[in-house]
Amino acid sequence: MSTIDFSDPATIAALTEALTAAGVDGLEVSGPVGQLRLVVSKGEGPHIRLTGGIGANQAKAVTVKAPIAGCFCAIHPSVSEETETLPRRVSDKDVVGFIRIGSVLLPVPAGRSGLLARRLAEPGALVGFGDPLFEIEPQP
Amino acid sequence: MGEPPKNTASANRRFDTVLIANRGEIALRIQRACRELGLKAVTICSEADRQAPFGKTADSVLCIGPANAAKSYLNKDAIILAAELTGAGAIHPGYGFLSESAAFSEAVEKAGLVFIGPDASSISTMGDKISAKRAMIAAGVPCVPGPQTALPDEPATVERTAQEIGYPVIIKAAGGGGGRGMRVVSEAGALHEAIALTREEARQAFGSPALYMEKFLQHPRHIEIQVLCDVHGNAIWLGHRDCSMQRRHQKVVEEAPAPGISPDLIGPVGLACVAACRQIGYRGVGTFEFLYEDGEFYFIEMNTRLQVEHPVTEMTSGIDIVHAQINAAQGIPLELRQDDIRCSGHSFECRINAEAPESFLPSAGTITELALPEGPGVRVDTHIHAGYRVSPYYDSLVAKLIVHAPTRAEAMARMREALAGTRVEGISTNLPFLRALFEDEAFARGETDIHYLEKWLKQRRAA
Repeated sequence: MSTIDFSDPATIAALTEALTAAGVDGLEVSGPVGQLRLVVSKGEGPHIRLTGGIGANQAKAVTVKAPIAGCFCAIHPSVSEETETLPRRVSDKDVVGFIRIGSVLLPVPAGRSGLLARRLAEPGALVGFGDPLFEIEPQP
Repeated sequence: MGEPPKNTASANRRFDTVLIANRGEIALRIQRACRELGLKAVTICSEADRQAPFGKTADSVLCIGPANAAKSYLNKDAIILAAELTGAGAIHPGYGFLSESAAFSEAVEKAGLVFIGPDASSISTMGDKISAKRAMIAAGVPCVPGPQTALPDEPATVERTAQEIGYPVIIKAAGGGGGRGMRVVSEAGALHEAIALTREEARQAFGSPALYMEKFLQHPRHIEIQVLCDVHGNAIWLGHRDCSMQRRHQKVVEEAPAPGISPDLIGPVGLACVAACRQIGYRGVGTFEFLYEDGEFYFIEMNTRLQVEHPVTEMTSGIDIVHAQINAAQGIPLELRQDDIRCSGHSFECRINAEAPESFLPSAGTITELALPEGPGVRVDTHIHAGYRVSPYYDSLVAKLIVHAPTRAEAMARMREALAGTRVEGISTNLPFLRALFEDEAFARGETDIHYLEKWLKQRRAA
C-alpha cells in the first residue's frame, strides 16, 4: 500500500486547494512519525498555517502498537531472557516482540529505525489491538 | 406435528463468562443482565471506543480492531479469538453487527463456545424470506398473499402470478431486509422493468438475485410478536408491540401493546408464532414481524435476535428478556408457561438519535451537558454521559427513553414529561422532533400506519 508524504510541499498545496474549494477550515493528519495540521484562514483568501508537521516532528518518540489482540511476548519463547536489553538500536524490519494467539506467534516489527527505549507492556499480558508495546526514539 | 426438534448440542452447556460482541447501550444492557445472573462480562471494543463507558464497567475489555466496524465489530475471527483469549464461554451478539449472521453463530459453536442466539440453521431459514415464508405457512402463521417460491424468469408466469395476487404488488429481494431491495408495482405495464431493476439490486446488495412477489398493502401497521424459547421445545410469546412510527423503514417510537388490537384477535397469531418456533427448533428470543391491515395479520419477517425495542415488552410483561435469553443459551429449561404471561399497562420507547432534527443527518461530537429523566415508570438505556464523544463511525442511537404507565394516555403523558426533562447539549439530537410527535393528535388516538410519520414530516416541512 502506498502512503502519502505529508511533508511534500506539493501534497500540502493540493490539500490546501481542496480544503479551500470545499469550504473546510482545517485538517489534521496523524501519522506514525508525527502530525500535520493545516488551518485555512478565511480573512485574506487562502492562508496556510502549518503546525508541527510530519517532517518537522522527527524528533518525537513513536510507539510500537499491538497489531492484533493476544498475549504479549517481549522475546521469542525459545530465546534466553538475557537478549532483551534496553535500550538498543533497531532497524525498521527488526522484530521487537511477539503476540501469541494460541499456538501462533505473530512477530511485531519495529516499523522504524531508532533506539528501542522502553517496553510499555508486561510480558505475558493480554493486549488489545493498538495497545502500546514499545517506545522507539529516533536516532540521528 | 411431530416431536419438536431439540438443540441437544447446547442443552447441557454452562458458562461463567460472556463476551459481548457489541457496543453502546446494548453492551451496557447485556453487562447488567450478566451481573444480575452472576456471570462475568467481557467487552470488546474498537479503537474509536477505547474510552467508551461500556469498556469501563465490564469485568474486562479488549480492543480488537480499528474504528472501521468491518475490522472490529464485524470481524468474526477477531471476536472469537477475543473470547478464547479472555476465557469467555459464550458470545452475546446484541443487535445489529453479527447478531443475525448464521456463519457467525456456526463459527462460534464450532469454536466450542455458546452463541447466545439461535443456531445457524434457524438464522439461515429465517434470513431467507422465501424459506421463512414457507416455514411460516407450514406452521399456520398468516402471510402476505403471494407464492412461497422465488419468481421465475418466464415473463408470462410472472405476469400471471401478479394478476392472481392483484395489483399493487411488491417485488422483494429474498435476501433483503431493512427496507432495501424492494419495489412496488401498481400496474402490469411496469412489472418487468421493476423486476429487472430489483433483481440487479438484489444481486449487488445481497449477493443473490432471488426475488419474490407479494400483495402490496397500502395502509398497514407494523406489529411485532416477541417469542422466547428454550432448547427443550418450550416456547411462549410475551405480547405484542406496535412499531409503525418509522422513518425510511427505521423505527423511531415503539409501544406495547399495539393499540386497538384485541387479545382475541392477536392471540391465535401469537400461538401460531410459538408453534412455528417449535417446528423450526428455535432457541432464545426472537421477533415475528407482521403487517396489519383491515383486521388481518401478514407475516413479513422474523428477527432472530434481541430487538432494540425489547424494553417495552419487558415493561409490560415484567420479564427480563436478556436474562431469559442467556438462560436459554445455557440450556436452562423455561419455567414460565404461556398462562403465566400477564401483560399490564402500556409502554413507549423513544429512540434518541444523534442527528439533526430536521435533516436527520448524523451529528457527531462531544456531549457537553446531559440531563436524563427519572421517576416511577421511567427507564433510560444509554451509554452516554457529559464529556462522551459521539463517534461518527457507528449508529446514531445514543439513548432509549422508555416509560410505563397503567394506560396508553398516561404513558404518553409520562413520555412527554420524560422528553421535556431530557437535555443533550453539544450535539444535535432528534429530541425536538420526538417532543412534537408526542403532541400529535392522530398519534395520541393510536392506530397510525407505517406511512404516517413520513407524511407528518412532509407536512411539517411544508408548513
